[in-house]
Amino acid sequence: MNTTAFRIAAALLALCIFLFDILSPLEGAVAVLYVLVVLLAAATGRRGDILAAAAAGLTLTVAAYVDTHGPHLAGAPTLRALVSLAATGIATVLALKNQAATATLAAQARLLNLSHDMIFVRDILGQITFWNRAAEETYGWSVAEATGRIADDLLETRYARPRGEIDRVLHETGRWDGTLEHRTKAGEWITVESRWALQHDAQGRVVGVFETNTDVTERKAAHAALVHSERRYRRMFDASRIGVVQEDWSAARAALATIDLADGASLSSHLASHPDVVARMRRLTKIIDVNPAFLAMIGAGSSSQFHQTVDDVLCETDQTFGPALAAFARGDSFHEGETEIVRTDGRRVPVIFAITFPTVDDGDGNVLVFVVDITERRQAQDAVLQAQAELAHAARVATLGELTASIAHEVNQPLMAVVTNGEAALRWLRRDQPDLQEVDSAIGRVVSEGRRASEIVKRIRAFLTKTPTRSSALDVAALIEEAAQLVQRELARAEVELRIEVATELPPVIGDRIQLQQVVVNLIVNAGQAMAEHDGRRLLTITASQPSDACVEIALQDTGPGISPQNLERLFDPFFTTKPDGMGMGLAICRTTAEAHGGKLSVESPPGGGATFRLTLPVPQHGAPE
Amino acid sequence: MQHIPTVAIVDDDDGVRSSLTSLIRSLGYKARSYGSAPQFLADRETDDPDCMIADIQMPEMTGDELQAALIAAGRRFPMIFMTAFPTAITRERVMAAGACAFLDKPAEPDTIARHLAAALARGRD
Repeated sequence: MNTTAFRIAAALLALCIFLFDILSPLEGAVAVLYVLVVLLAAATGRRGDILAAAAAGLTLTVAAYVDTHGPHLAGAPTLRALVSLAATGIATVLALKNQAATATLAAQARLLNLSHDMIFVRDILGQITFWNRAAEETYGWSVAEATGRIADDLLETRYARPRGEIDRVLHETGRWDGTLEHRTKAGEWITVESRWALQHDAQGRVVGVFETNTDVTERKAAHAALVHSERRYRRMFDASRIGVVQEDWSAARAALATIDLADGASLSSHLASHPDVVARMRRLTKIIDVNPAFLAMIGAGSSSQFHQTVDDVLCETDQTFGPALAAFARGDSFHEGETEIVRTDGRRVPVIFAITFPTVDDGDGNVLVFVVDITERRQAQDAVLQAQAELAHAARVATLGELTASIAHEVNQPLMAVVTNGEAALRWLRRDQPDLQEVDSAIGRVVSEGRRASEIVKRIRAFLTKTPTRSSALDVAALIEEAAQLVQRELARAEVELRIEVATELPPVIGDRIQLQQVVVNLIVNAGQAMAEHDGRRLLTITASQPSDACVEIALQDTGPGISPQNLERLFDPFFTTKPDGMGMGLAICRTTAEAHGGKLSVESPPGGGATFRLTLPVPQHGAPE
Repeated sequence: MQHIPTVAIVDDDDGVRSSLTSLIRSLGYKARSYGSAPQFLADRETDDPDCMIADIQMPEMTGDELQAALIAAGRRFPMIFMTAFPTAITRERVMAAGACAFLDKPAEPDTIARHLAAALARGRD
């Protein structure tokens, strides 16, 4: 619009000057006025318009001269025409130069408008002279509203430091940056990162300050939230009653990667059969940080030098680290278990733990282990178990007592009759005249009473060896597992290591779950007791296999002192015992139970220690009724 | 003519009862046997025995209950008790009520003979 108007004005002015030049009788340098045409055209800011105006001015000057004076030199008029041409030329050159400078500035202004940062320029009085688009959008004032206002008044700038100090830095170094707060037109406070630079003119005098501001309100809020969250988690870490251990498992990861697994073997079974590997991993797993609750748990005053790796904390007989490693290698995010840790004074603390393995982003150096001391719970449990055991013992003793009383009564009556009849017979015989009739009947009664006693003994034996009443199909692995769980505590107390190896795809056996479980429990407890007083390794290995189609064998091998040959012969006899407080009924009943199930219970104890009990149970054949 | 003491035997066990009867007769006494306490109490045709040997554990009525019943009825003669379940409480009660002896089963025949002789001697006083 403006461009067109300037063009039309320039064209009309040029026409007027031309007509005036040729028609006016005035003798003067009218053509000098073409300078005005060039300046009008320059107002469009376009290089082409300037050149067109210049060309028109020069052409019309020459045309008017020729029209008036002909193509001849005419002294003074020629001189005037030349001056006019020179004036137009000079004006054109200046206009072109000015146009170029303006174009550069406009391009720069456009560039500044593209920025997301709020950019403005203020002069030495602090009045705004430039205000970019981002400033318009973020602060809310338009260019027109902002221009000429004092920046600090408009934005109500809040400085973190005294303004004088900032000005001093600005004038000494030519720049300043820092964080400020500005208020927008809508009244909101925003936090900005501000960078200032002094602007100089060609003479080096300060003419203003160039200021760019980045809105960091959200970034600041996010950072504040992060700091808050960090503090909150630190507080949880420090104040929690749950022990927290931060561990670095990256070395374990590297070591696990080097394990060369045999075909088909799983990592967990490999670790289970290579305790040395697990022991090395324990030493490789570093403790980075522990919280006060954990320090209290292990009885340490501060993060002591003694607790650098997991090996320093876990008890020697720990069975949980191997499975934890397997879970870690599998990529599980979580693993939990129950174990014992060692206090600085050497005492053991029973704990339950949960390990959270970090996600890939977090790295293996940030494995968190949460640990809860269950000493009290364990003590309570132990007390309950103790009470239960005492109760069971009392019940057994009571049953035995009743049984003994009833046996006593049943057997004592005929015994008394035998003795009394015998004595009577003797007296009848020793009379001066022996009464053989009486002797005969007394001895007859001796015989029948003796028979009666043996019948009673037979009846009692039959009562004690009742055949199983509840038969069901039993999974051998589950049978062993449940039995092992029942006596886990006793084994741990005797520091016996338990290893269970069950062959895959074992067929089920048929029998009374409780009775067979008791046999296995009995054998485990015996093995534990045999090893309890024994120096050296205490390992109980329970294997389940199928030596033939017809049977399944559960073998319990211990590393105890073994059984002497003379004891071996009588081991299963009722009332035979090598224990000071033993009844000598356990193994007798175990064998009876095995036989009642159609199986066998045998023992071998090779010289050099260790006993192996073998419980063999028949496998129901296909088609056979269960 | 010399008085031959009569001994009553009260026991529910046939074997014990018949063997005791034989023993007592071999010792030169007369014997009367009863399979239960009520049976003894019901025998009204004979006089009180010179001594009684009774079992404690019997169905219907126990030996110490029999003792109490006899005392209550004013029938006093020497009594010897035997049991396969000797308990201190029963022993005390029976002895306090005036029994001559409290023997564990199986009892030695010599012991029985000795206590019987002592009881009969006491009964004659």
